[in-house]
Amino acid sequence: MKKTFVFFTELLILCAMTFPDAIGQDTISFPLKIRIGADLYGPAYYYADKNTFTIEGFFSIDRDTLKSWSFDAGYSRFEFEQYNYHYNCKGVFLCSGIEFNVISPESSRGKYFAGAGLKYGMSYYTHEIPFLKSENYWGNVNISVKPSSQLAHFIEASPGIRTEIFSNLSIGWTIRLRILIYSGTDRDMKSVYIPGYGNGTKSFSPGINYYLVWSIPYKYLKLRKRNH
Amino acid sequence: MEKHASVYGILLSVFLFFLYSCTPESCKEETVTLLGATFYRTGTGKTGAPDSVTVFGTGKETSPLYKNATGKPVIYLPLDPSSGECSFILKINGINDTIKFIYNTFPHLVSKECGYTFFHNISGCKFTENIIDTVFVTNKRITTQNEENIRIFY
Repeated sequence: MKKTFVFFTELLILCAMTFPDAIGQDTISFPLKIRIGADLYGPAYYYADKNTFTIEGFFSIDRDTLKSWSFDAGYSRFEFEQYNYHYNCKGVFLCSGIEFNVISPESSRGKYFAGAGLKYGMSYYTHEIPFLKSENYWGNVNISVKPSSQLAHFIEASPGIRTEIFSNLSIGWTIRLRILIYSGTDRDMKSVYIPGYGNGTKSFSPGINYYLVWSIPYKYLKLRKRNH
Repeated sequence: MEKHASVYGILLSVFLFFLYSCTPESCKEETVTLLGATFYRTGTGKTGAPDSVTVFGTGKETSPLYKNATGKPVIYLPLDPSSGECSFILKINGINDTIKFIYNTFPHLVSKECGYTFFHNISGCKFTENIIDTVFVTNKRITTQNEENIRIFY
C-alpha cells in the first residue's frame, strides 16, 4: 500500500509540472473529444488480492470545454472466505453522469483534466453464501444460502486527474467516493460486496481507478486567448 | 498554478482518506443472538428478580445457563437455530416450569469481518403454569441487541 501511495504522489507531482502555460497566440484551437478508457487498477489489484476481480471501461464525450458526459461500465467478481462463512458475488455495473474540468481551456487545451465527476450508478449482481457456520449453546449449525439476484443504486463523486502522455493517449487516476442509495436486499441479508460500489455493509464506499484513455477529437473550437 | 496546487492538495487529502478507509478491520460487533426475558411480579406490574433462578435447555441438564442465580430481573436465552422450536426448564424459587418457543430462523449479516449470525422471529410460546402465571411476547424479532422479547409474570 505504501508503494501505491508513493507512486500516486509522484504521479501527482509529475502532472503538476507538465501543465503548460498559454503560449503567445490570440486564439487557440480546443479539440472537443470522445474518450474511451480502460481501468488498469482493477486487473492489477487482482494480482495482490485474488478475491476481487474487476474490469471496467469508461466512455465520455465533451459537452463543451469544461464539461463532459461520462459513462462507466464494468464487471466484478468477489469471493470472501473466513472461518465462519464463504461469500460469492458477481455482477455488472453502469454509472453515468457529468465531469467538470477545473483547468481553464487555455491551459488544458483538451489534454489535461483535473476535476470531478458526479454520477448515478446501478449494479445488477448475484450473490450467495455457499457455507455458513454458527455455533451456540445448542451446538453447530451449517447451512448455505442459494444465489439471488439484486439491483443496487448508488451515487458517486469522482475527483481525479488525467494528462496526455502521447498524442490522444492519456493516463490518469480517479478516486471514487460512493454513497449507497439502495442495496436491493432486505436488512438481514445485506451484501458483503456490491459490484461497482464496494463494501455493501457500509453506506459509504471509497475506491480508485487508474485509467488509460484513448481520445478522438470530433470538433475543434477556436478560443480567444485571455490577456493577463 | 496556485489554483492547480489547491486542486492537487484536495485530491491528495481525499487519497489519504481513501487509504485510511481501506485499513482492514477486525470483528467488533456483537454476534450472539439472545432472547431477553424479563421477570415481573404478578399483580404489581413491576419487574422483580426471583430469589433464585436456574435455567437450562431441555436435554441440556448438565449445561445450565443460570444456576441458582440471584438478583436477575432479566435473563437471556439462546434459541436453537437448527430447529424451529426449543424448550427451556426454568426453576424459579425452587419450582420448575417449562417454556417452549416456536420460531423461524434466518441469517443476518453482522459485518464483513464478523460474518453472519442467526436471528429469529417468534411465532408462538407455550408454558407450564406451576409458578409462572403468564408469558407475553413483547418483541417477536430476536437479535443481537439484548432487547426484551418476552415478559414472564410469576
